[in-house]
Amino acid sequence: MIETVISTLLSGIVLGALYALMASGLSMIWTTLGVFNFTHGALMMIGAFMAWTVSEAIGLGIYAGLVAGIGATALLGVIIEYMVIRPFHGRANMILITVMTTLAVMIILEKSAQMIWGPRLKQLPRLIEGDVSIFGAVISAHEALIVVLAPVILIALWVFATRTMVGRSLRAVGQNQDAAALLGINVPLTFAIAFGLGAALAGLTGVLLGGIRFVTPNLGVEPIIKAMTVVIFGGLGSLGATVGAAFVIGFAEAFLILVVGLYWTPFALFIGLILVLIFRPNGLFGRA
Amino acid sequence: MTRFLDVQNVTAGYGSVTVLRGISLHVDKGENVGLFGPNGHGKTTLMRVLSGLMRASEGTCWFNGQDISRTRTPQIVERGLVQSQQGNTLFGDMGVAETLEMAAFSKSARRKAEANLHYVYTLFPRLAERKTQLAKTLSGGERQMLSIGAALMCAPRLLMLDEPTLGLSPRLKEELAQALKEISMNVPLIVVEQDVELLLSLSDRLYLIEHGEVTREIGEENTPDQREIMHMYFGEHAE
Repeated sequence: MIETVISTLLSGIVLGALYALMASGLSMIWTTLGVFNFTHGALMMIGAFMAWTVSEAIGLGIYAGLVAGIGATALLGVIIEYMVIRPFHGRANMILITVMTTLAVMIILEKSAQMIWGPRLKQLPRLIEGDVSIFGAVISAHEALIVVLAPVILIALWVFATRTMVGRSLRAVGQNQDAAALLGINVPLTFAIAFGLGAALAGLTGVLLGGIRFVTPNLGVEPIIKAMTVVIFGGLGSLGATVGAAFVIGFAEAFLILVVGLYWTPFALFIGLILVLIFRPNGLFGRA
Repeated sequence: MTRFLDVQNVTAGYGSVTVLRGISLHVDKGENVGLFGPNGHGKTTLMRVLSGLMRASEGTCWFNGQDISRTRTPQIVERGLVQSQQGNTLFGDMGVAETLEMAAFSKSARRKAEANLHYVYTLFPRLAERKTQLAKTLSGGERQMLSIGAALMCAPRLLMLDEPTLGLSPRLKEELAQALKEISMNVPLIVVEQDVELLLSLSDRLYLIEHGEVTREIGEENTPDQREIMHMYFGEHAE
C-alpha cells in the first residue's frame, strides 16, 4: 500500500517536472509576444529527432545529441518567428492569424519529420543509465534527472527574467510594447529572443522525453495538449502559476491513473480543467 | 542659430484619417517649448512620429542635425530624443526600482544609470519610498512620476512630456510642476499641456496646434492674457 502511494507520488513528480518544462517555453512565448505557439510540440519532436541523428545515426553520443537538439530547435524557433509571426506583428487579429500560421508550421514539421526520419520508432539513450530507489519505489536515473533538472532550469529562467537586462526587457515588451520601445528596447529582437528561447526549452524537453517514450513524428502531439492545459489551468501569465499548475496536473494524472486507469485519465483531467475554469476563469493561480 | 529639433511639413495619420497636415515647428538649442491646443488635433500624434512609433507620410524630422524620419525608435532614444507618454502605466507587473533600472537600456544611458537613478529619487522622493511596489498599484500621480523618471533614466538630451499633469489633483499638480521646472534646468523639454499658464512658466516659446497645424506661435514678445487664451481654446465669441 505504502509502496503504491510512494510510486504514485514519484510518478506525479516526474510528470509535473516534465509538464513544467514543456509549459515554461510555451508560457514565455505567450507572455512576451501574446502568441500561442502551436509548434511547441513539433519543436519537441524535432529536438528529439535531431538528438537521435547526432547521437545514434552519427554516433557522437547523447550529450552531443542534447546540444544539437537544443541548438537546432532554438534556430528553428528564430526562423519560425521571423517567417510566420513577425509579418503579422501589430495586426488587430494577430492572435488568430498566428494560431493558423503556427498550426500550419506544426503540420509541416510533422510531415517533414516523417519524410526525413521515416515512420519507424526510434529510441533515444537515457542521459543517465541505471535506476534510483526511493523508499522502495524505483524510477530510472533519467527520470530522477528530470526531477532535479526541472527546478534548476525554472529557477534559472526566473533569475533571467527578473535579474538580467535582456530578461527584464522581455517582460517589459510583454506588458507594454510602445513604452518598451520608448525606453530604447528593440522590440523585434526581443520577439526573436523569446521565441528562440521558448523553442530551445521545447527542444530540451523533447530530448528528455525521448529517453522515456518512443521518438515518432507524433511525439509532440500529446505533450502540446498537456502543455496548453497546464498554461491555461495555471492562469496565463506568470511562470510561478505555470509551474504550480504543472505539478498539480502531474500529481492529479498519476493519482487518476491509479484510480480510474490510463484510459479514462485524460477525460477526468479535462472535466477537472473545465470545472476549474468555470469557478476560476483566470485559472487556478491567475489574478483577476 | 542651430536648430536642435526641426519638424518640416510633416503629414501623418491613422489609415485614411489624416491627423497632422504639414506641420512645421522647431526647438532651438537651449530652449524649452510648449505645445497646446484642443484634444484630438495632433499633439500626441506628433510625439509618436518624433519617437518613431509612427511614420510621417510626408515631411522630415531633424534632430541634432540628423534626419530621424526613418529611424527606428530604439535608435532615436539612443540619440537622446526621449518621450514620456500620456497617462502611461508603463509595466504594471514591474516594481518601481526595477522599472527605473531597466529604463537605462541604451549603452549611453547605462553609463549614467547610477547618477540618474539618484537624480530621479531626489526629484521624486515618493518613488524612493515605493521602490519595491508594483507599478499597477501606484496612484495616478506616482505613475506619472515613474513614467517621467523612466524617461530621465534614458539620459535624454531632449525630453518630450505628453500631458504630464493630466488628471492630477491640484496639490499633486503643483508638486509635479515644481519637479518639471527643476528638470527643465538640466534637460530641454517639449511639453504638451492643457494648462497654458503652467506651460508659460516652463517654456520659452509655445505653439498652438489646431487641425494638425501650427496656428499660432507665442514667444516672450506676444504673451497672451487670460482672455486671449480663452479665445484660442473656445473661439472668438467665448466670454
